[in-house]
Amino acid sequence: MLSYDYVKCSDLKQVFDVLQIHDHAYLLAGGTDLLVGMRGGKFAPRLLVDIKGLEELKVLKENAAGITIGAAVTLNQVAAFEPIVKSAAPLAAGAHSVGSYPIRNRATLAGNLCNASPAADTAAPLYSLAAVINLLGPDKQRSMPIGEFFLGPGKTALQNGELVHSILIPKPYPAGKGVYLKASRTGSVDLATVGVAVQSWGGKVRIAVGAVAPTPVRALAVEKAVNEGGEKDWTKVAKLVHDDISPITDLRGSREYRYHIAEVLVRRGLELTMGV
Amino acid sequence: MADLKFVGRSVPRKDAVDKVTGTAEFIDDRFLGPLIYAKMKKSTVPHGKIKKLDISKAQAHPGVKAVMTGKDYPNKIGLYLVDRDFVAVDKVRFIGEPIAIVAATSERAALEAVELIDVEYEELPGVFDPREGMKTGSPLVHDDLEAYERVPIFYPVPGTNISNHFKLRKGDVEKGFAEADLVIERDYYVPQMQHVPIETHKAAAHWSPGGKLTVWSTAQSPNVVRQLLAKAFDLPLHNIRIISSYIGGGFGCKAGASLEGLVIPLAIKFPGYVVKIVFNREEDMQGTFMRQGLYSNLKTGVRKDGRITALEYKMVWDGGAYTEYGVNIVRAAGYSSTGAYDIPNVKTDSYCVYTNNSIGGPVRGFGMCEMQWGIERQIEVIAKELKMDPLEVRLLNGMKEGSTTASGQVVHHVAYDKCLKTVAEKVGWGKKEGKFRGKGIAGLVKCPAQPSNAASSAIIRINEDGSAHVMIGATEMGQGMLTAISQIAAEGLNIPLEKIDIKVPDTDFTPYEWQSVGSRVTYTCGTAVKRAAADALGQIYTVASNLLEVPKEDLSFDGKVVYSTKDKNIKATIREVADSCKKCSGEGIAGPIIGRGSFVPTNMTNLDPETGQGNPGLFYCFGATAVEVEVDPETGVITILQLASSIDAGKAVNPQLCHAQLRGGVIMGLSTALYEEVKFDQGVMLNRNFTDYKIAAIDNIPQLDSFIIETPEENGPYGARGIGEQPMIGVAPAIANAVCDALDIDVHTFPLTPERVWQAIKAKK
Amino acid sequence: MTKKVIVNFTVNGDHETREAEVGQTLLRFIREELHLTGTKEGCEIGECGACTVLLEGKPVNSCLVLAVELEGKELVTIEGLSKNGELDKLQQAFIDKFAFQCGYCTPGMIMAAKALLDRNPNPTDQDINVALSGNLCRCGAYQEIREAIKASAIK
Repeated sequence: MLSYDYVKCSDLKQVFDVLQIHDHAYLLAGGTDLLVGMRGGKFAPRLLVDIKGLEELKVLKENAAGITIGAAVTLNQVAAFEPIVKSAAPLAAGAHSVGSYPIRNRATLAGNLCNASPAADTAAPLYSLAAVINLLGPDKQRSMPIGEFFLGPGKTALQNGELVHSILIPKPYPAGKGVYLKASRTGSVDLATVGVAVQSWGGKVRIAVGAVAPTPVRALAVEKAVNEGGEKDWTKVAKLVHDDISPITDLRGSREYRYHIAEVLVRRGLELTMGV
Repeated sequence: MADLKFVGRSVPRKDAVDKVTGTAEFIDDRFLGPLIYAKMKKSTVPHGKIKKLDISKAQAHPGVKAVMTGKDYPNKIGLYLVDRDFVAVDKVRFIGEPIAIVAATSERAALEAVELIDVEYEELPGVFDPREGMKTGSPLVHDDLEAYERVPIFYPVPGTNISNHFKLRKGDVEKGFAEADLVIERDYYVPQMQHVPIETHKAAAHWSPGGKLTVWSTAQSPNVVRQLLAKAFDLPLHNIRIISSYIGGGFGCKAGASLEGLVIPLAIKFPGYVVKIVFNREEDMQGTFMRQGLYSNLKTGVRKDGRITALEYKMVWDGGAYTEYGVNIVRAAGYSSTGAYDIPNVKTDSYCVYTNNSIGGPVRGFGMCEMQWGIERQIEVIAKELKMDPLEVRLLNGMKEGSTTASGQVVHHVAYDKCLKTVAEKVGWGKKEGKFRGKGIAGLVKCPAQPSNAASSAIIRINEDGSAHVMIGATEMGQGMLTAISQIAAEGLNIPLEKIDIKVPDTDFTPYEWQSVGSRVTYTCGTAVKRAAADALGQIYTVASNLLEVPKEDLSFDGKVVYSTKDKNIKATIREVADSCKKCSGEGIAGPIIGRGSFVPTNMTNLDPETGQGNPGLFYCFGATAVEVEVDPETGVITILQLASSIDAGKAVNPQLCHAQLRGGVIMGLSTALYEEVKFDQGVMLNRNFTDYKIAAIDNIPQLDSFIIETPEENGPYGARGIGEQPMIGVAPAIANAVCDALDIDVHTFPLTPERVWQAIKAKK
Repeated sequence: MTKKVIVNFTVNGDHETREAEVGQTLLRFIREELHLTGTKEGCEIGECGACTVLLEGKPVNSCLVLAVELEGKELVTIEGLSKNGELDKLQQAFIDKFAFQCGYCTPGMIMAAKALLDRNPNPTDQDINVALSGNLCRCGAYQEIREAIKASAIK
């Protein structure tokens, strides 16, 4: 049941070699989802591949391309990194709202994405920031917009033997304001019932909503009305979020409530970023 | 009582250093000897016959010592109604019920072997709603209900799922309604909740070949565990030893007996080994007592002036698969069914109904949170209808000195009005502070729910140096019992607190205590300790009188020295008196001093089976809660701006400890008011961990205002009464009343999750 | 058979070399191998905080760390807080303010609070709420806990 092996890798080549040889090998970065999944029987690894020590994956930097967040960077690091706080506010807020402080000391941004929960608090912010996911395999590297990375609950575009290398928030950064608004049952450590990220630049917005569809989704109808239609009545445009979401009823909220809250949070997000 | 030296002071907790350094010993921290690990195979259907149970592969698994099934457990168990199988026999009644116990030399082997057990069920139609389950013709959860042994104060209805029907008839309810100007009838619902102490249930057992059983347990009530195990396993009491450690939170779920029995046949089979079972969080959520759900209907008659003339209260409780303990919650809610109010005409029917949900049982409040939710919401509606101030309606109908309870018991030393006014004043009652803000108030009362002869006892051993060991059977689960009891002992003995040692119980060495439940220990165990201290002090005087040749009535003791009040130079140190006292000539006078004290209530009676009239209350503790909230009208999110709680403690033995208990109860109440609900779907528990079952965290808690009122309880030790459960009771209705005030909406149930508030707002539109 | 790995680490200031089972959580390793039973198990999924310890000076849920990850690291548990029988100022403040009841969550609570004070010697209520929201106390000592932390802050 719990019989497995562990290897701590010191370079990426070793990681890929190990992944190629072993079936049921799982990457261990923060481990906060992995260990819970192993205990509950969701994951049954035969080999744990510890990538926390890889310097290359610990990169957290800003340069001409934008902000790069390596796969081993923790959520507390993300939430506190000055360029993120300054230029990618929805991500700072989203990262800060995942779990508790001790969890965020271990949990990584990449892990939050790879778990591929539609409710992931960092996902909607990254959609709103047009983030790019850099994937690395044994013999090729590829990049994709975050929207192509999420395929469904628990499903990502990662192929066998591939890993998330880093996340890029590309320049130019949106010059406007950004927020991440989260509705949850307790307002404390809790999963999102609905999470809405709104990022503005100039008179335009990019909006993404979490926990309302099999993956986080862009509120494209709202964006279109604002960005192309020049609509300024936030109450009116917020209703258009219903076109892009298909929430379900679960323990955290009903489908009906999620429709309602998504609309409220989109409107509030527009008010906060675009002005009342 | 002006000159108390130890009682009434906020001395630090006796367990303080242990608990902040990580050295406090909980059961799982003890080394218990060569271990065998026990794990459960649990049922996956809510109601079904066990068609096949093949344990052969599990038995053959490496590391496995034995596998036990229901037939290895000779008898059923139950505190008030003997209805519970330790391990299912022939039939399962809820999901998560143990159907086999695997014992192995490692936890892993035990877990692996559990997976190798092959079970097949013939599913039976389930009962998931007690309102349906109580009807004739419903599938029966227990076929042999009438054959079950029970304490004769409970009334099962044969051929149904009703395991107790408590009836109460006071005055003439029809006459009361005829006198009313307004009759209000409403339904209420309170869902199941779980206690979720951070320490889950754990137990271990050891059998010595000489026939002695030792059990370590997280039990709140070692003596009751001993009594129940003795009966279930046909053992004499002196051959069962129950050892308690510090308990990591109880709140009722560790009362009675829970998982201890599971490992007994294994311990007997493997003498010399310690067989241990630890529930993980999911097992704890699913397989231990939870708060019973309550569907209720209240019909209240009231005059134009606000005086309530009649109450008809019907309660249907979701007792779950076994109601061995739950039947008494149903009874307690029934005999208390007017809450904190004096209502002359009452008709109450309280039904405990078996379902195929998890087992109902005691929780902080013992039915009062559920039952008084309806009372306190109903008063709010009455006030609104009559356009009266809800505080005025409460003061008008509230119990006072000499009022009678639903069961006709006369209450004394009551300051309910003061409790209400104190919290009302604190939150600025009567002033509306903003558009989406509202204020709410709720009263509360509770007496310990216990048999009329539930007893306590204490032994105090005086050491040779005059220090003392206080030996009692109450348990320490956070409430501060060790500290409060030490203070009572110190007061009685007049020796400093640091000279008093007190420990958690070990039934081979500590004297009898019924249970640490019902907010009763300060009063009951405290009284026994006070008597034991008086007994020891009396012996000290007797010995000193003999030694000093001074009449006892002329002696005084200052904590160090016994002296003659006539001539202070005639004296003996406590060491001289306590250390096998002898005369100058060498002749012995007396051996070691051992004080004893015991307590049994003399003011309680059984209740009339038809009318429920009688005296079920050892004492009644009143309090009140007032709240100011702000509600986000779009999202339904409630922000608690102010929360004030008052409790009449009689006498706070340790004021700071009292305040901590009070605030702790308020926080648990707030958590249930806003977040907590165990969700079932056809017997499947949907939220079995802290990801899905949320409880209040530190950032959910505003600054709380707590008030201890002291109207002495005539027979309580130094005037004290227990307050452990009470502060929780008023929180949910006070918050709901405030939320309804804020938005002019109506709610019938809680938790008031954002979604539920939003629905109430929508319902109004 | 379960594979075992040698790990070198520091616990409460002492260097240790031990065998750890692959797959064993740090929580179980601390309790069952190091016999430091102050660290408690409450949920095993990182939701209750009873198992909070300091790893490299940072608070972590030891139920969500593998023992083998200890290699080369510095671990501090509740037992490492008092020095030579002297209570840490924070421990004394927990006693003075009655900031615990049953005491089961207390070691984790104190470790999380200790980490907060290490990085922020004078925290506000809000700072405390953020730092400790992952440490559940069912007895409800939260208000007293805030008071204890503020009482031991360096102002």
